[in-house]
Formats: sequence, structure tokens, C-alpha cells
Amino acid sequence: GMADAKNFKIAVGDSGGSSQEATGLGFVSALEELSGGKHTATLFLNGQLGSEQDTVNEAAIGTLDMSILAINNVTPFSPTVGVFSLPYVILSLEDAEKLTQGPIGAELTENTINDAGVRIIAWTYTGFRVLTNSKKPVKSVADLQGLVIRVPKNEIMIDTYKAWGISPTPMAWSETFAGLQTGVVDGQDNPYTTINAMKFYEVQKYVTNIRYIFSIEPLIISEQVFQELSAEDQQIILDAGKAATAASAQFLRDKEAEIKQILLDEGMEISDPENNEEEFIKLATEAVWPKFYDSIGGIEKMNAVLAEIGRDPVSQ
Amino acid sequence: MTKFWYVIDNIESYICRTLLAIFVCLLFLQVIVRTLFDFSFSWVEELSIYMFVWFVFFGASYAAKKGAHNRVTFQFKFLPNGYIKYIEAFADLFWVFFNVYFVYLSIDFIFNKMNRFQSSQTMGFHLSWVYIVLPIAFSLMTFRVLQVNYKKIVLGEDLRDPDAIDLEEIRAETANPEQEKK
Amino acid sequence: MESQIILILFGGFLLLMAIGAPITVALGVSTLLSFLYLGENPIKFVQIAFTSVGSFPLMALPAFILAGALMEAAGLSRRLINVAESFAGPFTGGMSAATVFACLFFGAISGSGPATTAAVGMLMIPAMIQRGYGRSYASAITASSGGLGIVIPPSIPLIIFGIAALGMPAPPAAVEEFGQFQTVSIPKLFIAGFMPAFLIAGSLLLMNYILAKKHGYKGSSEGWSARLIWCELYRGFWALMAPVVILGGIYSGFFTPTEAAIVAIFYTLLVGAFIYRELSWSKLFTALETTTWLTGRVLLIMFTATVFGRLLVENQIPAVIADGMLSVTSNIYIIWALVIFFLLFVGMFMETLATILILVPVMLPVAYSVGIDPIHFGVVMVCCLGIGFQTPPLGENLFIASGISNISIEKISVAALPFAFINTIAIFIIAYVPEISLWLPRLLGY
Ligand code: NA
Ligand code: NA
Repeated sequence: GMADAKNFKIAVGDSGGSSQEATGLGFVSALEELSGGKHTATLFLNGQLGSEQDTVNEAAIGTLDMSILAINNVTPFSPTVGVFSLPYVILSLEDAEKLTQGPIGAELTENTINDAGVRIIAWTYTGFRVLTNSKKPVKSVADLQGLVIRVPKNEIMIDTYKAWGISPTPMAWSETFAGLQTGVVDGQDNPYTTINAMKFYEVQKYVTNIRYIFSIEPLIISEQVFQELSAEDQQIILDAGKAATAASAQFLRDKEAEIKQILLDEGMEISDPENNEEEFIKLATEAVWPKFYDSIGGIEKMNAVLAEIGRDPVSQ
Repeated sequence: MTKFWYVIDNIESYICRTLLAIFVCLLFLQVIVRTLFDFSFSWVEELSIYMFVWFVFFGASYAAKKGAHNRVTFQFKFLPNGYIKYIEAFADLFWVFFNVYFVYLSIDFIFNKMNRFQSSQTMGFHLSWVYIVLPIAFSLMTFRVLQVNYKKIVLGEDLRDPDAIDLEEIRAETANPEQEKK
Repeated sequence: MESQIILILFGGFLLLMAIGAPITVALGVSTLLSFLYLGENPIKFVQIAFTSVGSFPLMALPAFILAGALMEAAGLSRRLINVAESFAGPFTGGMSAATVFACLFFGAISGSGPATTAAVGMLMIPAMIQRGYGRSYASAITASSGGLGIVIPPSIPLIIFGIAALGMPAPPAAVEEFGQFQTVSIPKLFIAGFMPAFLIAGSLLLMNYILAKKHGYKGSSEGWSARLIWCELYRGFWALMAPVVILGGIYSGFFTPTEAAIVAIFYTLLVGAFIYRELSWSKLFTALETTTWLTGRVLLIMFTATVFGRLLVENQIPAVIADGMLSVTSNIYIIWALVIFFLLFVGMFMETLATILILVPVMLPVAYSVGIDPIHFGVVMVCCLGIGFQTPPLGENLFIASGISNISIEKISVAALPFAFINTIAIFIIAYVPEISLWLPRLLGY
């Protein structure tokens, strides 16, 4: 009955207009529709309910219902999902859809419930983190040398840049815009939607379409909250999550071309890495992948992932 | 009081000054290597933030020892001095209640609720080693609150407002005009 | 539900404050009680305790406090003030005008109002008295200009505002109505503070001229001494370079504000130990110790104010307050007037940083909902609280000035009234003309 009607609180790390918000809105409308208006949810944008990492703990304890956050903020709590954050594992949106919605995705969801006490119910596809900088067009690893690049405090990203021969600067997100503006750092990497939403075109000139990380941002629900729901409501939540995932993929397909045009109009120059990115890929995968085989569950897991998207296996 | 007891009685001050000196030096090192060699130590920022968190909560306990936490007191202006310390002691009971509850919560969080993988991104150790400052510092702070009230009520000591200490020095220095010309 | 929560949260807070509980305790306990009333698990306090404090930009706070304390200990402050004093010359009210300028100089290296008052007052109040200025007048102008210290960058209150505001983005409804608001950053706030600070300084100089003329405070008969000015500039060279290093470093992009403060610490250590040779180990330890308890006390409030703010946000109370305010009036000038008078009132009783931490989650959403720019709002807020330093009953600058001059706080307060009055007019101008705050950051490409 209406007595157990819920208004779920959903923490959203990014601002309005972001892919995260699109997933959230997709979820809320599907939830309202599937539950016949009984349940709804409120989005708290811009990290108002705490940093993305904090929300994982809060959901695990049951003091927060749901959160939409970057996968690399889930990895510290459930290391096996780190496979999606390794450089050059995912090379297209189709790869991402296949991996997250297939058996690999199901297994990682199960792991996350056990490890972190949260359940992934939808996937946001935010796109590749492309490189921007204020100094020069970057097409090769050699072009990258001498640039000061901001990265989040993330081991994999730091190691990747090191594999390319530069030592990146870890900087808090809150300081990044000012850092780029004043030139404390020359560049950064983020998906197109973020670059547009944060108006990085005001302080950056060159974009390079590197594909080292495809940004995936799951919608998680507190497993404790989930288990307290009736079986019927649980199914509604899962179905609403599927609808949100579909909405997210559609959002990315619609948006990315549109945003590229906006950035060009704002005077940015967009280029692709030379030789289909081969040099970047080789350096990054050789240096970074082996360091993380253990944390993602062994080299077999890595090969299972590669097999699923039709790529050659790696050996020790 | 022996030197030993003096150090124990000001333990937060020693801890904090050490932490402050270290993280200030670490950050300076980071600035130097970045501006001169275009290089960054990936662990410096994270480590200095953790030291800073320890510094803050031990510092809060030290501030409690000095009776430095700001209160609004103008409403007591027309009360006889003798009463104020009892009213403040009553208010401090809420402080003790808050701290004790918070210590319970933080112990529950660290030992029962914290994710077993939650580690430092750049240094690898489990973050419970950082969070452990919370129950320790809030327990210490509770002790300081009780200590201050004991001193005020039982021993009848008049704890000076630490903000006013500067003033005494200023008076002393301005009374000595030589100092100006130096 | 909301009204009961508002009652428990704000009622509990005010009641605890009334019985003399520390501000941080009043915040923490009233929030804890609200959580328990709502049947929510307050265990999130633990994580908030850690993350509210564990942020890199916040480390600018102890760094600037330490830098300021060291500059005092190393003799940099005194030399800066001597430079200002040497310019006093033959003008009517010249010495007191020099006091205002000394506060401008010193404000550019110190993040704090009371530190400015203490450093400047220690030298200028006796000097003014010596030249025949009234004791209460000398104290009043120093206490009043000391508030400039927090408006001129670097500014600890602006840092705290910036960090609090970063967690309070514009509500979607406001974005829909007024378009995207600019993002808040500490360097941007610092730049925005310049022009308003000069306007306030100008208003103080104007009032000083009027009053000095009335009281007949003449300048020195010898006129300007180029030699004296040159000597003081020479002696103060390394001290004058400190603001250049700090602000230049931030604006040229060499450092973040936190790093600039760190560099300032080492700059002062070098100058103090090897050039001026006034720094000793014991002074260094004292500076470290002061930084410890000052930071601990402010950032404990940071923690409890964050849980307080989180409770407000989760229950969407700022929206309720904003709607309430907008139902009274949506005229932005009236709203600004209400905001200014409210801040001036609160500033009379409350410590500045605590006020910012408590009021940003409550007031910034209201500001957004009438289309006020967050940077502009922050500058006006800090200007208002700057006046709070010179108003009783809690006026830190008054205490310090009174300590130096041995004049009662009541007498200084009366003498400071004209300055508070003209400062308030200046603040209204700053509030009503947003360009005063926003022009410079835009010009510099922020
Ligand atoms: Na200042
Ligand atoms: Na006041």
C-alpha cells in the first residue's frame, strides 16, 4: 500500500547537466512509472551529501539510500571492479555496454555486494577521459613531455602517466579549475561532458582524444536498504536501474557530438593521437596492467574480460 | 611538576607541533620539486592531509585544555562571577555527552563498519590507522573538559582566556619603548 | 516535520549558546539531537569529522596563521608599519591615516583582523598619543582599520567562506532562473576582496580627515622627510617583499593559496633567521603552539558546522528559509539590506569564522535564489563581519586596542561609532554595486 511509499535520497557527485544527473533522472522517472507513482527519489547534486567515496561507506552502513559515483571511487571498497579503470581495457561505448551488462558485470555486482555492502543497479556511461591542455597540441607521447598534468589522487592514472614518461600532479578537484587558470598545472583529463560543464574551454585550448579510461559511473543502492524492500519493490528498483542504464547510453550518444561542436565553437582544437594511439596503448598496458592483476582477481580475470570483448589474451 | 609530567600534561601540544612542522616541510618540499624539477611525489599530499587531520583533532583537545573554545558570554555580564563557572560547567555536561557518544560511534565505525579494503591510495595502509585519531582525540578532549572544570570549580583556579594572553604581552612590550626602536 | 526539525536544530543551538556552551558544542549537540529525533543513525558524524577537515585547501588556514605569527616574531610586521608611519608627514590626521595604510600593508600578509590590530596598534597607538591624538580616537581608528586585515587578501575568513561555499552549489531552480553561477575558488575570492577593501579604506580615510580636522590633529611641522621614508623603505625591503611573494605567487600561478602560505612560512624563517636575525627557537615554538590551538578550535567548529549543514541540506531546510524570505520580498536591495543588518547583528556577538561556517549553508542558498553571485556574497559577508571586530560586546579588535591604550572598551566603542557608520555605508555600496567586487576578477580572467 501507500504506507510504505519511499522517497529515496540519491547522492550525485556531479552537477546538473552531467551524465550522472541523466542517469539519476532516468532512474527517478522509471521508478515513479514502474511503481505507479508510489515510490520516488530525490537527487542531491554536486556532492551535497558528501564526497563520492564517503557515500559508499554511508550506503554500506545504511545511512544513505543511493549514490551515483565514478567507478574509481568504488574500487577502494571492492577492488575487483578496478578492472574497468585499467587503461585501455574498454576501447568503445559498445565494449563498455557489453562488459557491464553481461556476465562480467553481474559478477562484479555480486563482488561489490559482498565486499562493500552496496549493489550496483545501473551504469552511467560518461565516455572517455580526453586530455586537455593549455600549451600545445598533443598527438604523440613525445608531445606530452614537459606538460604538468593534473590527475585525481588515483594510483592507476598516476602510473599511466608515469608509463608515458611524465610525473603528473595529484590535485583536489576543488582546486583544479583555479589551478588550470593560474597555470599551476597545464592540463588535465576528463570526459567531454565534464569539460563542457566545468567550462574548461575558458582555460584550456587543446584536446586530445585519448581513450585510456572510459569513465563508468554506477548507480549504487545500499544493500541494507535493498534487502528491507519487498521482492516486488526490489524488482521495480532493478528494472528502473536497467532503464536508467539505457537512458545513460542514449544521453552519451546524443551529447558527445553536440559538446564537441560547442568546444570547437569556444575555440578549442581537437586532435586524435597518431597511429591509432598505438604508442600510448603499448606503454600504458605493459607498465600498468601487470601491477593490478592481483587486485582484480588474477590474470585469468583479465583474460576473461578481454575475451568478452574479442581481444587477445595477455600472458604473465 | 617534573619535566615528565609537564610533557604529559601538554602532550597534545607536543604531538601537534611535531605534526605541523613535518607537514609544512613536506608541502614545501613538494613545491620546491614541482617548481624546480617539474616533479611531484604522489604521496605527499595524501600523507600531509592525514597528518593535518591528526593535528586538527589533537589541536582541538589542546584548545579544550586551554579553555579556548569560543563561547558567547555577553549574557553573563550582569551575573556575579561566582555563578558563571557553574553555568558553564552545566553547559560542558552536554559537551561530555556529545564526546562520549561520538567516541562510541567512531569506535563502532572503525572496528565494525569500515570497509576492509579502504586504504590509502598512494601508501597502501588501511585508513582505520588514520581514523583512529577520532576516538583517541575525543577521549582526550573529554578528559580536558573535566580537568578544566575541576580546576575551575574544585581548585578555584581562574583560567585565563588564551586570547587575552597576547594582550598581556602587548602591554608589556608597549610599556617598554626601547623595543619599538630596536 | 521541517518545522519541528528547525525548532530542535535552531532552538537547541540558541539555548545551548545561551547557557554558555562552546559554539562547536551547541552546533554538534543540536544536530545530534535532531538526528536522534529523526530516527537517523548519527554514525555519519564519524566520516564527516574526517572528511570535513581532511581537505588540502583547508591547510591554508594553519599555514597562514603560522606565517602571520612568524612575521610578527621575526620583526617583519614592525618594519612594514614603520614604512607606513614614515609617510605620515605634514597632513591633518596624517598619523591616523598612516595607521589605516599600515593596516592595508599588514592586511596583505596577515589573514586575520585581530593580528593586524595587534601588530599595527602596538606601534601606532603610542605614536599617535605621543603626537597629541586622543587616546580613545587613536584606539578607535586602529580597531576599525584592523578589520581591513580580513578583507584584504590573503584572508582567513575568505578561505573559510570559499571552502564552505564549495559544498553549497546553486540550487537547480536558481540556475534555471539566473543561468549558471560562477564557480567559487579561493584565488578568485582573494582578487574580489581588493577593491572593496580599498573602498572601505577610503571611507575610513575620509572619516578620519573630517574628525582629525574637527579635533585639530595636525601633522608634523617639518613636513615630509624623504630621508626617513627612504631609510624605512630600505630597512623594510624584505618585509615589503613578503606580500609580493605571497600574492604574486598565487596570481602568477606558481602556487595554490595553501602553497603560497607554506612558501611565506619559509620566506619568513629565512629573513627572520638570517637577515633580520630576530627569530629564536623559543619564538618559533610559540608560533607553532599558537597555530595549534587556534586551528584546533576553528576546525572543530568546521566539523560540527558541516554536520549541521548536512542536516539542513538533507531536509531541504535552506529552500524553506529561502521561500520564507522570498515570500516577504523578492526585491534584491531589500534582501541585501536584511542580510547586511543580520550579519552586523550576529557579528556583534559571534566569532567571525564560526559565523561564516554556520551561516553559509543557511544564507548562501537564499542568495542564490535571488540571483546574487556567490563571490560577491562572500566578499560582502566578510566585510560585514570585519565590522564585527570593532563592535561590542565581542569585538576582538576592541579588546586589543583597549589593552594597548588602557582606555575602556566603552570609550573606544563610542569613538569607533563614526567609523562603523561610514564602514556600513561603504558595505551598502559594495553590496549594491556588484561590479566593485566582480570587475577585477573578470579583468584578470578569473
Ligand atoms: Na589579509
Ligand atoms: Na563584535
